[in-house]
Amino acid sequence: MARRIVVTGISSHWAGELARRLERDPSVELIAGIDTDPPAPELERTEFIEADIRSPVMSRLLPALEPDTVVHCGFLWYPAPGKPDRALHEINVIGALQLLAACEKTPSVQSVVVRGSAAIYGSEGAAPFFFTEDMARRYPLKTRFQRDVGELERYFDNFARRRPEVSCCMLRYQPEIGPDIDTPLVGYLALPVVPTQLGFDPRLQFVHSSDATGALEAAVRNPVRGAVNVAPSGAVSLSRILRMAGKPTLPIPHPLFGPALTQLGRQLRMGGTYNDGVRLLRFGRGVDNRRLREDVGFEPAFDAVGAVRDFVEKSAGRQLVRVPGPRTVADVVARR
Amino acid sequence: MSVEDGQRTATDGGGADAVAGFLRGMREGIENGLGPLTAARRAAGGLPESFRDALDRTAERMRGDYAEDEWGFDPEFADAVTPAFEFLHDVWWRVKSTGLDNVPAQGRAMLVANHAGSLFPFDASMMTAAIRLHHPAPRWPRFMVLDWAFGLPFLSSFMRRVGGVPANPDNATRLLEQDELVMVFPEGVKGTGKPFSERYRLQRFGRGGFVEVALRTRSPIVPVAVVGSEEIYPKLADSPSLARMVGAPFVPITPTFPWLGPLGLIPLPSRWRIEFCEPIDLSDHPPEAADDRQLVFDLSEQVRELIQNKLYENLVLRGSAFL
Repeated sequence: MARRIVVTGISSHWAGELARRLERDPSVELIAGIDTDPPAPELERTEFIEADIRSPVMSRLLPALEPDTVVHCGFLWYPAPGKPDRALHEINVIGALQLLAACEKTPSVQSVVVRGSAAIYGSEGAAPFFFTEDMARRYPLKTRFQRDVGELERYFDNFARRRPEVSCCMLRYQPEIGPDIDTPLVGYLALPVVPTQLGFDPRLQFVHSSDATGALEAAVRNPVRGAVNVAPSGAVSLSRILRMAGKPTLPIPHPLFGPALTQLGRQLRMGGTYNDGVRLLRFGRGVDNRRLREDVGFEPAFDAVGAVRDFVEKSAGRQLVRVPGPRTVADVVARR
Repeated sequence: MSVEDGQRTATDGGGADAVAGFLRGMREGIENGLGPLTAARRAAGGLPESFRDALDRTAERMRGDYAEDEWGFDPEFADAVTPAFEFLHDVWWRVKSTGLDNVPAQGRAMLVANHAGSLFPFDASMMTAAIRLHHPAPRWPRFMVLDWAFGLPFLSSFMRRVGGVPANPDNATRLLEQDELVMVFPEGVKGTGKPFSERYRLQRFGRGGFVEVALRTRSPIVPVAVVGSEEIYPKLADSPSLARMVGAPFVPITPTFPWLGPLGLIPLPSRWRIEFCEPIDLSDHPPEAADDRQLVFDLSEQVRELIQNKLYENLVLRGSAFL
């Protein structure tokens, strides 16, 4: 059966990569990308539809496309220069509502896949070290982004209840890392001197960018119901990541870390305070990926350490500021 | 940590000449364009072997090439801090352990012990030290730590690196499924925060969650009685206002704390006894038995009574608390 797939947020890296992979599959008849910004130019047969998912036009647009699958990648993770915290909330929450309203009016839809976030579990010191999918909302949602994720999940849960014939898959992504992506956390790791929170060494899981796209594609091909964590196996501490990257660290007292990160905002290409990042870099978060491997049938190619190692090896030349190596220092000393 | 070790051995074994030679070699290495760590390793050719090893280890750690499991447990770090706990075990608290054969040499098992002392789980560290020092097949046990400690700087990362995890059934279950040795303290903060006058009187064992986990993962329970931990910080009173201020579950007032300031944090040198009792085999029960409240309460009470009796026995055997 020829598939017709609609992808929201097509200008994002993830949606672009997904569309590129789907384009290679002849059984996919239509790939339509919806966004306000155009997608990456190298997409060949993806139809770009310029529309805002927050607008009611979605309810007329979507039924006309007759999709069997809707992939929601229009959920934004990071505040960006043009898109501060509040705009993020608008896009994430109102966008999801309009999209779901449109899905309700589209009888052809059989499955909905959402690129959500593992932020629903929060970042807590005393949390279970590996959250499974049934452990969401154990802790109060503390940041705006977390509350947005909470609302998103609630809307999709309600939708799944009202339309039991549609399979609704909520992918809960851990943050991504990779030489080809540009997120505030990747920018943070690429800083010449990396500030850390004095006395805290969070356990982290970064999904390798190729695994992140792979998991999205696997979920589109094999739609399962309910939430699925997208994370590598294992976990790695921030101190070890920074040693693998060969980065000098600057431990600062944790109450000052948030303001310091905001000051670095320009370099990290983000707008406003990134509270989730601050909490993540203090307490960390680990999730269990058994459901992804067994139910969705996607085996991540990189484990937690491997993803970081690959990032470090491939982005060695990406340093924003040149740090004097020991050889340069030795030269300077010798000249004196 | 390993750098300090290395320097100590160098001065012990090689002497000043060796150090000078090493520094010369290192400078030549860097002048020839080697990285500082590679240069140091080349230059260390003329040094005693222990120093070379230490340097290799340091270099590996600096590159992030070290074993750290998915729980953040770092065996090398745990090894490095072992001497401090060995000192406490052998000299300070003169721990005498019995029944170590009851701790399985491999496979999953849950060690259930009474909890006392204070906010730092010294009882867990002493049980670990006893297993590491005297067990025929030493292994690293993992221990459940009061949630509060995992929100604190330094303490949280330290606990994690030596094998601690936040106390919750999810963590215990996953660790047991991975065939680890897990120490749990079902009394929790009720045990550590009780006044000195109630020492060695076991508190309620939570809601029996530890039995549920053991049943579900089909792990044997090894009851452990720890005598001595109650005297290290004799809690005479409590300061709820101070506790609220720092967000701690309680702040003890002891004969030395807070009167002597940080010195008051030095635990008193009581004499300890640890008895590892015979394992309670739960493999007759199917995993679904974990939902049987009555069975869970009965087993929990059975373990509690056993530990209570062993505590009284060991108190008599120990005699004087400090001498």
